Amino acid sequence: MSKKKITVIGAGNVGASVAAYASAEELGNVVVVDILDGVPQGKSLDLFEAAPVLGVSSYVVGANDFEATTDSDLVVIAAGIARKPGMSRDDLLRTNVKIVGEVAEKAARASPNAILIVVSNPLDAMVYTAWKRSGFSPRKIIGMAGSLDSTRFRSFISLELGISPVDVHALVLGGHGDSMVPLTRFCFVGGIPVTHFIRPERLEEIVQRTRDGGAEIVSLLKTGSAYYAPAAAAVEIARAILRDQKRILPVTAYLDGEFGYAGMFAGVPAIMGANGVEKVIDLKLTDEERTGFEKSTAGVRYLMAEVDNLL
Amino acid sequence: MSRKKITVIGAGNIGAAVAAYSSAEELGDVVVLDILEGVPEGKSLDLLEAAPILGVCSRIVGTNDYRDTADSDVVIMTAGIARKPGMSRDDLLKTNVRIVSEAAENAAQFSPNAILIVLSNPLDAMVYAAWEKSGFHWRRVIGSAGALDSARFRAFVAAEIGVSPVDIQAIVIGGHGDTMLPLVGSCNVGGIPVNHFLGPERIEEIVQRTRDGGAEIVRLLKTGSAYYAPAAAAVELARSVLLDQKRLLPVSTYVDLHGEFGRRNTFCGVPAIVGAGGIEQVIQLPLTEEEENAFKKSLSAVCSLMEEVDKLL
Repeated sequence: MSKKKITVIGAGNVGASVAAYASAEELGNVVVVDILDGVPQGKSLDLFEAAPVLGVSSYVVGANDFEATTDSDLVVIAAGIARKPGMSRDDLLRTNVKIVGEVAEKAARASPNAILIVVSNPLDAMVYTAWKRSGFSPRKIIGMAGSLDSTRFRSFISLELGISPVDVHALVLGGHGDSMVPLTRFCFVGGIPVTHFIRPERLEEIVQRTRDGGAEIVSLLKTGSAYYAPAAAAVEIARAILRDQKRILPVTAYLDGEFGYAGMFAGVPAIMGANGVEKVIDLKLTDEERTGFEKSTAGVRYLMAEVDNLL
Repeated sequence: MSRKKITVIGAGNIGAAVAAYSSAEELGDVVVLDILEGVPEGKSLDLLEAAPILGVCSRIVGTNDYRDTADSDVVIMTAGIARKPGMSRDDLLKTNVRIVSEAAENAAQFSPNAILIVLSNPLDAMVYAAWEKSGFHWRRVIGSAGALDSARFRAFVAAEIGVSPVDIQAIVIGGHGDTMLPLVGSCNVGGIPVNHFLGPERIEEIVQRTRDGGAEIVRLLKTGSAYYAPAAAAVELARSVLLDQKRLLPVSTYVDLHGEFGRRNTFCGVPAIVGAGGIEQVIQLPLTEEEENAFKKSLSAVCSLMEEVDKLL
């Protein structure tokens, strides 16, 4: 029985935070890959030097090539650029399809049995790109979006009620951000429906704050975007896979007939375990939820077509 | 029984990493303070939004106002600038003495019963400045340096031998800098002296790599310096205080000089028991003659730094 091996692609704030959380709880040894010379090595060495005080035995190493990632159990793709002022959405998509496509292919070649978690944005397009270029079975590709949206929603509910976020459960469907569909009927506080505590208008405000969650952090930081919560959300999925926890998490997963869709990725609740997406939970949606979900999937289809033109 | 309250001063990489590690293990609620508007609030909100998935109940808030730090149990000082290209060592010292003094004074006023943990650099000088300006008893002002230096030493020994860093103990004393002194005689691997595993030349190389540990990271990162291991080391001290663990850790603390080096006192790295009262007991170690000489040399270097700080306070 050897130690699990986790590869993180991209040594920016999100990638480094994934490595930090994963090593701190000793999920496995971590390899951080980036094209920048020195940065993955420096951040990894710093993390490795933290291990003795954290009381963990994880190794963290940085690299510029994929040889070091050979036979990883799990690969987290956090590579790609952030949208810069003046850059069009199309330019961003083109650049990140190229970056994510290339790293997915290399990572898949070095670790043919790995599960792939995609964090890069625009998320739905990047998950699709990684699937196409890795050649992996679609159930081994998971996009991280819903668990981030849902942790934001939970933290806001927790603040509102003064109750621990641990006791707040929530589920979101659909895409990341604007097209997110929070299922407030599935939001419970210690088993009690959230509507017992919060009236609908206030709940709608919290839903809107959740939708704008990424933008709120950007407006505060001014020169950067969120990385702690996104990294923690990715590690939650990684943990479920590496420890075969069979957790039900909102993830961007491949649909094969569930929710009436096939051959595409969408944000849905799924059972996550050692095989990646082990089962998509096919929920019966209300009319309103179905409308939101359809709007979201239409956006995904449009993005998929654009990616197809670029691949 | 209310929750513990931790204030982190400075929302840079180290301050944010301290907030991240301490909130992730639910050491207490965390307040991150910085003069920059938006940055402490943004990083804190991001951390708060991570809490539900991490399964912890910590609150993290960012602020520009010391009133929000009132009645903290622990204050962790990470404020100060990094040395910029072309900046003299004196200019750095002058700027950081000013920043840390002001922050220590403000923090002490709002949290008169807190324990103050200092990470700002140059470390021993900043602990001294924070002690002077806070008006706190020296036992309540702790410099975090030895824990970082010893973590680096342990990490390198662990990598060399291929054993878990958890099983390696090491003490580093002296000033935080070129004259730091890893006590090789005290370094053991699962209770077995390190020289059972490694030859003296290899150990000396590891000692030197530890001394240059900060510079090695800077050289790799190019545009920044280490923050994960420094933050983890500070949180180790904070944990020992907040949980009253009475851990024996290398820290930078008050050393009575009785006029030696022309001074009454200084702050310097020595092993101590750290608990709810801060530095509860400094451990007087028997040193070999060689170690004694190296320690004196380190003390002398630290003392000349203190002379400079005295002029600035």
